[in-house]
Amino acid sequence: MLRRFRLDEPESVAEVSEILGRFGDSAKIYAGGTELLLAMKEGLVRYERLVNVKRLKGLNDVVANNGTVKIGALCTHHQLETSSVLQQRLPVLVKLEQNVANVRVRQAGTIGGNLCFAEPHADPGTLLIALGAKMTAQKSSSQREIAAEDFFVDAYETSLQEDELLTEIHIPAPTANARSAYLKFGYLERPSVGVAVAFNLRGSTLNDVKIAVGCAGPAPRRVPEAEGVLSGKSTDEAARNIAQAGVIAGRASQALTDLHGSQEYKEHIVGVLLKRAFQAAIS
Amino acid sequence: MSKAMSRHRDAQSIAVSFTLNGRLQEIEVEPHELLLDVVRERFGLTGVKLSCDVQVCGACTLLVDGRPVSACTTLAFEVRGRSVLTIEGLADNGNLHPLQQAFIEHGGFQCGFCTPGMILAAKVLLDENPNPSEAELKHFMHGNLCRCTGYKKIIESIMAAAKKMRGGRA
Amino acid sequence: MQFEKEVEISAPKEKVWNFIWDVDRFIACVPGCKEAKTLEDGKRYAATMVEKVGPFKVEFPTTIEVLEREEMTRIKARATGADNKIGSRMKIDLDVTLREHDNKTILGFVAGVDILGKLAALGHGIIKRKADQVLDEFAQAVKQKLEGGA
Repeated sequence: MLRRFRLDEPESVAEVSEILGRFGDSAKIYAGGTELLLAMKEGLVRYERLVNVKRLKGLNDVVANNGTVKIGALCTHHQLETSSVLQQRLPVLVKLEQNVANVRVRQAGTIGGNLCFAEPHADPGTLLIALGAKMTAQKSSSQREIAAEDFFVDAYETSLQEDELLTEIHIPAPTANARSAYLKFGYLERPSVGVAVAFNLRGSTLNDVKIAVGCAGPAPRRVPEAEGVLSGKSTDEAARNIAQAGVIAGRASQALTDLHGSQEYKEHIVGVLLKRAFQAAIS
Repeated sequence: MSKAMSRHRDAQSIAVSFTLNGRLQEIEVEPHELLLDVVRERFGLTGVKLSCDVQVCGACTLLVDGRPVSACTTLAFEVRGRSVLTIEGLADNGNLHPLQQAFIEHGGFQCGFCTPGMILAAKVLLDENPNPSEAELKHFMHGNLCRCTGYKKIIESIMAAAKKMRGGRA
Repeated sequence: MQFEKEVEISAPKEKVWNFIWDVDRFIACVPGCKEAKTLEDGKRYAATMVEKVGPFKVEFPTTIEVLEREEMTRIKARATGADNKIGSRMKIDLDVTLREHDNKTILGFVAGVDILGKLAALGHGIIKRKADQVLDEFAQAVKQKLEGGA
């Protein structure tokens, strides 16, 4: 049984902001509820009001235009894994979404909710960072863009303000030279380590390398120090440097020892996944 | 047959009109009520089970508009205007669905606790993909856990039902 | 969970020692701590600790007992609290030491922290990180208060 709460069902972003601004901590945005309701059932959080955002229009479609793929925050994982637009433009994201949790969570859970709850052991954030995604945060009177690599602040904490709503995710559509891969590892219900790599391959030279690690530490993060070891290099040289990049990325992951494994183990797995992701992206 | 829960003084009431196993139902729920509790307590349909309570095991699987959801983590008001199917609604006038028949014939259950969820999930799989490979089956059914069978007979049952439904003999 | 911290303060040992026993100001240095009260001078104190990890907030009414005291050198204390809303309990065994070095005072903390109950569901790693942050901020706040002449 859940504790009682009042349900608000606003129809505009302005209304959502107004409610959040007025009620502060005691109100919470509710979309798919796949994380929120679990925390509420556990008694870890209590809210007097839930703000159902599923009536907001225009936030649950996938559109590609002008070199950008726009994903509405209310898209469910199921919508994303079956989107023909995404299959065409961002198959790496489709593959990730196909493997989020299980079929029931994918049915109800939204990409926006996943990103905003910022559970450390989650997949999408890591890949979105490597793809250079930007998040659109809206409130009553204004909106702003937050780069994915600046979105995740800490475990369960994003850089959204209290009265802001994540509405869209914009991903630069990969060009013909773009390569990317996301690999994860885990044997518990949630992933233990996730690594995403993206780069442009012209001839046999790697450019614009982006590497992100997630799940091992409190929040997914980009690892520029590891990128530097691969960027501008030939594929052969990058392959020789990949182990070093793996060590750097492992340390940068801020791996925490927990039931998923020790810090050392997770750092090691980061290196393994980085090597495999790199090989998968190259091929 | 819907027994309302005792009302709190300031209770917020949401009208929920939905079809349950093909029949129109009109009830009122409070926002915090879970679909699992409403189906089991108000409608007495206990095929849907409370098991892990964290959306991991699949014993609470129900179909809403033909799609699988965890009833333990779905607020009841979310089914307004939708159709809900429980295991009790799968048989057609006493004629078992091929999946139900296959689970019996191929020994797809032991204690039976996970079975309603298994069958409903498998129904969605076969509705989407009438000829799944074993890998596709395992991927789809990944979120339905069984502690008794070791899964071999469940896979056989679903594959047999799939074959029957495609027109072959099981 | 065990934590160790040392902070170097540009102030004489006596000033640091006296600051510690100025309970309101000392406890106020703990991030999330409010309403510090003296229950029994030199022996028992009370405070409310409020900490947040994302949306997860705990409020622990806390009792602090001074177990041992070596003038100008060392204090051993134990803080215990319970948050009934979340169903969690906390216990911290604190060992505070002072030593002089080069006209400065080295204030050392060794803390043994136990969190029991629902909050532990967040995971050992997250809680450890948070506790580390809190202790770090606490040490820095003490240093600032003493050096800033506040």
